[in-house]
Amino acid sequence: MSPNDEARLIAAARKGDSRAYAALVDAHQQAVRGFLRRFAGHWADADDLAQEAFVTAWRKLARFEGRSSFRSWVSGIGFRIARDAKRAHGRAQVRDSDWLNEQDAGEEGAPVEDRIAVTRAMAELPDEQRAVVALCLGEGFSHSEAAEILKLPLGTVKSHVTRGRERLLRALETEDGR
Amino acid sequence: MDAEARLAAALGAAAAPARDPAFTLAVIRAAEADRFKTEALRSMLSSGAVAAAAACLMLLLAGWTAVNWQGVQGGILGAGGIFALVATARLMTQRLAPAAAR
Repeated sequence: MSPNDEARLIAAARKGDSRAYAALVDAHQQAVRGFLRRFAGHWADADDLAQEAFVTAWRKLARFEGRSSFRSWVSGIGFRIARDAKRAHGRAQVRDSDWLNEQDAGEEGAPVEDRIAVTRAMAELPDEQRAVVALCLGEGFSHSEAAEILKLPLGTVKSHVTRGRERLLRALETEDGR
Repeated sequence: MDAEARLAAALGAAAAPARDPAFTLAVIRAAEADRFKTEALRSMLSSGAVAAAAACLMLLLAGWTAVNWQGVQGGILGAGGIFALVATARLMTQRLAPAAAR
């Protein structure tokens, strides 16, 4: 979707056009859901959080200033909702990864052992670092976009990416050693 | 496959969702429900505020009337007198107009 199309849809959605908003959700749902799946570590929770993020964005659309992309803005809302939900419910960071075993490894292109090792290592990362890794390494957001979404200094984002990558690589090496 | 490629594959595969029209539909339904709830609440609050203001005015009027009953009585009598005068004048005009036209 071009920036012009996006701006046109945002303007229409601000006037209450739910079809325009549906088009925006359709265009950006994969990035937001993907990020929250990696951050929250659980698919069902992540999709609920993503839904809440899009509904909150619809409610606050009048306040969207267009300084970042719509995708970044909604991802930021989703991040804060996920972080608050985690704090409120005191959820354990390490999730049961059994659900990964139910997926077809061949179809996804990565061995299931690698995916389990990476998911477990992701769950052990501090919240901010996990969010940065999910955005930059998982969803392909730029460092500056991640800084904007997470309200972090650019240098902090870069160091989170480096350290997070190192820890995930170490987790894969440990998996090989078993 | 080197470790970097394995990491990229594992990160990408583990959570990449497919585009899901049901998700979009669920968001729009939830957003519409949210908007309906907000508008209903706003309408209820504004009706409540108007009703509370009207009740306050009625109470103030009742209090003022109780304190100034003599004046109110005079006012009611005066207004009644003016009303009677205007009604009589209109009646006479209506009766005299056809006679003047002839």
